[in-house]
This record gives sequence, C-alpha cells and structure tokens, in this order.
Amino acid sequence: MALLNTLIPSLARSPANSPTDSQRPADLGRTVKPAYEVKETPEAFGVTVYLPGVAKEGLELTAEEGQIRIVGRRAWKQPQGWTSVYRESSDAAFELVLSHDNAVEIDKIAAEVRDGVLRVSLPKHEAIKPRKITVS
Amino acid sequence: MRLVRYTYPTQRILEPSSRFQPSPWAGLESEIDRLFETALGGFTNDTASNRFAVDLYEDKDNTYVRAELPGVSRDDIGVEMVEGYLTITAARKAPPAKEGAEEESFSFSRSISISEDIDTGKVAASYENGVLTVTLPKREETKPRKINVAVK
Repeated sequence: MALLNTLIPSLARSPANSPTDSQRPADLGRTVKPAYEVKETPEAFGVTVYLPGVAKEGLELTAEEGQIRIVGRRAWKQPQGWTSVYRESSDAAFELVLSHDNAVEIDKIAAEVRDGVLRVSLPKHEAIKPRKITVS
Repeated sequence: MRLVRYTYPTQRILEPSSRFQPSPWAGLESEIDRLFETALGGFTNDTASNRFAVDLYEDKDNTYVRAELPGVSRDDIGVEMVEGYLTITAARKAPPAKEGAEEESFSFSRSISISEDIDTGKVAASYENGVLTVTLPKREETKPRKINVAVK
C-alpha cells in the first residue's frame, strides 16, 4: 500500500472540498466558494465577495497567519409550509480562503457588507508599498 | 507580491510525519490544481454571466421566486409578469476603476415560466441581503379546495 501511494499520489489525497484545517469552524459542514474579485491599488488590496442572502450577523472574517478566511452563513431559512419546486442556489454556507504572504496589515483590515456584497480592504504592509527615494 | 488564490493543501503537506514518504509530487499536484482552477474558473464565475440563481417555492396560497442578485440597487431591479412568464431584469453598477474611466455596468435578465394561474394584480417583491423575493399569489379558483360531499 505504501508503494502504491507513492506511485499514485492521488489515492492518498483528501478530497479538495474537505479541508482539515484546525482554524475552520467545526459546525460549518459543506460549503460553497462564492464569486469574488480582487483589485489592487498602490496602498491596498480590495476584495469584493458576492454573498447573496448573507446578513451582517452571519458573516465571519478571520485573519490568520498568512491567510484570510471569510465565512458567510445564509440568514434566510425556508419557512414552514413552503415546498421547493425548483432550486438553483444552495443552503450551504459560503467559505473563501485567501492567502496573502503576510503582506497585509491585519490590524487595519476594514470590511463592509451591503445588499449581499462584502467589500474588504486589506491595506498593504509598509514594507511592500512602493516608495519614492529622493537622491541627494 | 500579490494575493494568491488559495488552494487547499494536500493530505501529504498537512501530515509530513505520516508513515508514508513525502510525495515528490505534492508541489506539482497543488500547482496543477491551481492551474485547473484558474483556467476553468471563468466558466463557473456567476458574476461574469448574465444568469443568476433562481429558486422556486410554493405554498398553498402563493408561488415564490427567489433570485440571488447581490449588490444591485433597488431602482435597477425590474419585475415583469407577461403571459405566464416572470421576467426579472437587474443592473449592477460598479464605480469607475480609475479616475475618469466610465462607470462599469452589467445587466442581468431571466425569464421563468410560471405554470400556475397567478393573480397578476397582486404580485409583490422585496429585496433583502442581495436576494429578491417575488410573491405571486395564486388565483382563487386554482387553490386546492376541500369539498365536503354529503353521502346519503
């Protein structure tokens, strides 16, 4: 078995959608990856995450060593008496993990959510900001 | 330096002390995974297509349509009911990326066939947390009715 696993590494791999991170909330279960955009300015990175159906209360933003985890739980639950006829969306929570090489000032991260769109501003660390050096 | 799309670590990276030898392919595996994700990501990117997810629910009085439209202003949502088809149109406006650039705008549209007989005069819609809910009341005569038949 050991030899087989070395030859065919895919047998030893865990499925891509079930990470075994210790930082992950335990009650999260299966998640979907939301649509997102990343933009960059000289001062900061701007991340726009589309989280339809997620209110401020259901949102968790965790900054860890080298990565940022965004978890959005849906605020809406199917009321009693409603039967679903046709579904395209999922009830699963949203989860997005971005790694950032510690180039971000974690203390200055700002986020706002409006109408199901989360905008996170990640100010760049002083060390990587472009700097103009005057020659004397 | 830039933000790098996160790929889940393979089991081998997570357990370097496992009883197996560390795979010489571990780095290549995650690199290939990332390549596939970036190459195929565009096909599943919902923001780039003009479709959006729609759910249909029903209870005994109403049919409900829930559409996922994050980041759309209420004024830019249009709901129309014509001959058994519900059409939802929406536009998302993003502020200009650069100074002097044009405002980016993206429009969505979707039509859904509603088989039930709907009282079109009483259709209502609400928008909350980026989800539009359209309530379509069923016409009185199509509601299931219980009729008691007296057996003599």
